[in-house]
Amino acid sequence: MSFNDAASIAQKTANLSEMLEFINSAELSGDSSGIPVAFNFLRNFTIEGIEPYIQCHCLSSGLKPKIIFGNYDMVHQEVLDRSSHLYSSSPDIIVPALYLDTYLPEGWRGDWRADDVMISLTGLFAEIAQNTDAVIAVNTFVPPFYSDFGISSVKDLSSCHNEVLKLNQLIRKHVLSKPARFILVDWERFVRLLGANESMDYRFWYMSKAPFKKAFLDLYALELVKIARALKGKSKKCLILDCDNTLWGGVIGEDGLQGIKLDRYSYPGNVFYEFQKGILRLHERGVLIAICSKNNEQEVWDVLEGHTDCLLKREHLAAWRVNWNDKASNIRSLAAELNLGIDSFVFVDDNPVECGLIRDMLPEVTVLQVPEKLYTYPPLLNRDGLFDTLTLSPEDRQRSQMYRHEASRKHEQAKFETLDQYLASLSLSITVHPVKEDEVSRVAQLTQKTNQFNLTTRRYSEAKISALCSDPDWAVMSLSVRDKFGESGLTGVLIARKEGEAGIIDSLLMSCRILGRNIEKAFVLEAFAIMVKSWGVKVWNAEFIPTHKNQQVAEFWPSIGFQKLDGREGYTFYELPFAVPVLEPITYIAIEE
Amino acid sequence: MQQQEQKLKEVLSRIFNVNPDMITEDASPDTIENWDSLRHMNLVLALEEEFGVEFTDDQVVEILSYKLIKIVLREHGVEFI
Repeated sequence: MSFNDAASIAQKTANLSEMLEFINSAELSGDSSGIPVAFNFLRNFTIEGIEPYIQCHCLSSGLKPKIIFGNYDMVHQEVLDRSSHLYSSSPDIIVPALYLDTYLPEGWRGDWRADDVMISLTGLFAEIAQNTDAVIAVNTFVPPFYSDFGISSVKDLSSCHNEVLKLNQLIRKHVLSKPARFILVDWERFVRLLGANESMDYRFWYMSKAPFKKAFLDLYALELVKIARALKGKSKKCLILDCDNTLWGGVIGEDGLQGIKLDRYSYPGNVFYEFQKGILRLHERGVLIAICSKNNEQEVWDVLEGHTDCLLKREHLAAWRVNWNDKASNIRSLAAELNLGIDSFVFVDDNPVECGLIRDMLPEVTVLQVPEKLYTYPPLLNRDGLFDTLTLSPEDRQRSQMYRHEASRKHEQAKFETLDQYLASLSLSITVHPVKEDEVSRVAQLTQKTNQFNLTTRRYSEAKISALCSDPDWAVMSLSVRDKFGESGLTGVLIARKEGEAGIIDSLLMSCRILGRNIEKAFVLEAFAIMVKSWGVKVWNAEFIPTHKNQQVAEFWPSIGFQKLDGREGYTFYELPFAVPVLEPITYIAIEE
Repeated sequence: MQQQEQKLKEVLSRIFNVNPDMITEDASPDTIENWDSLRHMNLVLALEEEFGVEFTDDQVVEILSYKLIKIVLREHGVEFI
């Protein structure tokens, strides 16, 4: 079983029996390599039917779900009961799956008010938020499909239909006003997308209080798994694009600049134009864009810089491989250049052979083939939410620019004799301080996304980071880096706690794009100095927890003077018998306030 | 016709996550622990999907054993031996 099998099963919403067979066999084969993620449902209707869809989408994303369903229509009780599953099982994602039914008054008169329901919901969400640090997936409600008052319904502002629309609007505003861990799961949109016939199962609603058909359950499950992916560092980071028949119609080498199809006013050029819009929106969100194609490089630049309807420009690209090498090698070398894991990539190509090659050679890469029905192509990139993150930070929006700076840094590197000479020429400076309120979201995101330079790979939610920041026995330190090419932004985090005279490093992680300049050492030195000042600790303890991605930091603690104590179950423990590591000062990195 | 029998057993074994050997002529919620009301819903959906039929409301609640499922499927024109 590979991710791609799971993806294809998940994508075509296969029949139920096939899907269950697939899940059963995945469980049997002990294919449990995924990252665990726990969903807890609080619900007032029969939602168990969603389970196989969540399992399937999780399997295709390298996640291993644990799903707990609360008791039927015990939502408010379970939230108030401190011994309920909500508090005993520490879920990652809490899903208050609420159907409007139980919030409406008894009787046939539809006289209820959105505001009254909203008060009840607000109290519920606040209670969950206050007592857990999980992500909370809040749904909107399905508006009625027929009106109570016939054709004059619209004019009766208190009709049920209008109240549900109003309630949904209140819910959207509520989620918007809350921290990032409140996520909207928009049932109203699902129904709009699928239509009532594909969404609603009135037979099982009246027989078993199970109102949704499989297409709806599938969409709902996918939306929840998107949250899980973002939370567990499984979001994709880089989009790799082929050129001919992917970025434009036709072959540039044969059809020429005037012959390729990219004209925004006619078919099929308008399809490719629309697809390119989607690429730029991803770029704007901080997704890296790369090209991997078999072309003459100059001809590709001719299109990017010379075609009036080519939205994608050279400046949007973080890297490219335009040559006749096989694409698997090219993608590996892009991974090395961009310092990203292979599983961070999404690859788009029209050629089934190229797609097949990448699926075979690099199964961790998500491969999307340009669909045969070309008019279904534009939503390909955002349909599955592959690049979704829980929040968008300013760093996300600048990321591509920062990678381009990195490329000019590498170019500069070639001009110097020694690395130190080069590093000295960069005018590096760092800022290290306890995390400020407006940095919490970025810090949580870094803990969720960073895989390679990460000593312990502990993932934290925004709420947890906030809590640690206000705890006097904990310190959360942030690192920001600047050099003569520009800002790299907040790119490092160190989390520690105090235990008597010892400081214990809980987490140390840095974004890969700032590595190779000894910034990590300068960061640790400065962070230790600040913490020693306020805590007066005399020794430090640290650990290294190996994953299949963080081998590069296996020797980090010894490299700054920590002594190895012992190891168990793959963990290694270290101790530093001084307050601050004894290291050669790093003269070319300035410390800024 | 043999195939239909095969397919029916396969659907039941997948829905209830039990070995196909467990699906005997006498199979019912009494012999299969996983055959609860929630999985019964999945069973109905899967049978309708696999055999291209739509059960009546009565049939949905009626088909509570392997034998009864076969009887009802026959009424919908599915042929078994």
